[in-house]
Amino acid sequence: MDNPSQHTTSMIDPTVLALVAKGDQQAFSTLYDHSSRLLFTLAIRILGSREDASELLRDVYVDVWRKVSRYDVGRGTPVAWLVTLTKSRAIDQLRARASRGYRATNTLEAGTAAQPADPSPNPFETQADHELRLAVGSAVAGLPQAQQQAIGLAYYEGLSHAEIAARLNQPLGTVKTRIKLGMSRLRESLQQWGNHGALP
Amino acid sequence: MTHEELEESVPSYAAGALDRSERQALEAHLLSGCTSCHSALKDYQSIAALLPLSLSPITPPPSLKATIMAERNPAPIPADAATHEPSKPSLEPGEWMDHLFPPVAPARSSSLPWALGLAALLIVAVGGYVAWNVSTQRSIATSNMQQLETSLQEKSAKLAEMSREVESQTNALTEIRNELQQRTNEATEAREQLAQREAELVEPRIELSQGGSARIVRTAQDELAALLRIPDVKVESLAGSDIAKQAAGFLLFDARTHNVWLYSMNLPGSPTGTTYQLWAISDKPVSIGTFHIDAGETVRLLVKKVPSFAGAKAFAVSLEPSGGRPQPTGPIYLLSRS
Repeated sequence: MDNPSQHTTSMIDPTVLALVAKGDQQAFSTLYDHSSRLLFTLAIRILGSREDASELLRDVYVDVWRKVSRYDVGRGTPVAWLVTLTKSRAIDQLRARASRGYRATNTLEAGTAAQPADPSPNPFETQADHELRLAVGSAVAGLPQAQQQAIGLAYYEGLSHAEIAARLNQPLGTVKTRIKLGMSRLRESLQQWGNHGALP
Repeated sequence: MTHEELEESVPSYAAGALDRSERQALEAHLLSGCTSCHSALKDYQSIAALLPLSLSPITPPPSLKATIMAERNPAPIPADAATHEPSKPSLEPGEWMDHLFPPVAPARSSSLPWALGLAALLIVAVGGYVAWNVSTQRSIATSNMQQLETSLQEKSAKLAEMSREVESQTNALTEIRNELQQRTNEATEAREQLAQREAELVEPRIELSQGGSARIVRTAQDELAALLRIPDVKVESLAGSDIAKQAAGFLLFDARTHNVWLYSMNLPGSPTGTTYQLWAISDKPVSIGTFHIDAGETVRLLVKKVPSFAGAKAFAVSLEPSGGRPQPTGPIYLLSRS
């Protein structure tokens, strides 16, 4: 993907956010179309249910609408901002309702496995999006299972090193190494995407 | 935490695996201006933001968009109001980055002058927020840092002063010790010189006293007294053997100068063509010297610079052919008692 087209999910034009900041309804609609599927998938992976994910996305988008002026292109792409915002909110919610107990989601992929498959193609997904999705999928799948599991517990469940170590009954150092190595390998695998500007 | 530890925590920060204190430590480090960690973090956060792409996509319910569109406020809240909301998620993305990078102005539409004005207002407001945040956090960090630095400087100064004091005291002590050693050496030397002089005086006295036997005895006593005052002198007494039961004597050995004195009485006179020979016996006899005497003469023999015979177990005097022999061949006249 040498020259990804504009308005893909992975490459939402920052000007769209600028327009949203000015109250542009059409821009906001475009932003939603190009990001909601990814954010919804992420929210389900973290929260485990469509209802909770829908609720979360309502909060996130309303927040985006209200606080879009805080977005700074220097900090990352719009998608990265939205993903981070959604993930943070979801993890906060997950922690807030910690009494619900542990859900068995042990890998990077596991959380959505329980959800019904989504056969409908995304009308907003471009070839560039598709290629990026494949690249990320293969990079993650290329990690040893133990590294996937450790990163998944941190990323989707908000667990710290110590909590992961306790959960997996593994030494703390082992968990730290798994996450560090896993993230380093992902960085190497996906470096070319970053270099071509498709990454946040 | 060291820089290496902080740098190592960057991937975990992006993955969300750091606990609060670790996160704060890294954020403080980033705020201190570490460009390599910042650059690494930006990379890792970019990767982290991609991870949801690996999930099997799930489309949100179509009604969700309508709900959200309806729930929005008529217009985005101005930046200044938005930035002062009291509560926000603890993991709000990249808050710390505000302090590192001045925001880049979003692309502006030039078609509407009011939009320009609004954008300018936003920039000013965001800039103000950033500046406020930067100045607040920086000033806290700076004042903390200054306090630490001041305290560190004070401690360093104190430590340096103490080291100097210790050093000067050590030097003084060394000087005193050296001086003491020198004095001791001088005193020893003086004492030894004195003893040496006294010992040396013995010979002229002997020469002076060649005239009369009475004086010889007195001089020999003086000489003996002088020798015995030398601190390093050892005494070995000798007894006459069966062939010279009346004979007796003793050896004095000065370990420092390696001088040996032999005193003996009642040794028979050595016949012409023979000589008495003094031996130090360790594993085998070693010759110390030879001497002649006439009957009834008292032996006072001084041998200078003999090899050390600290290991000698016994001493003996034998009668040998004139000139002495490398090993004793004749009869033994004197033998050490020990």
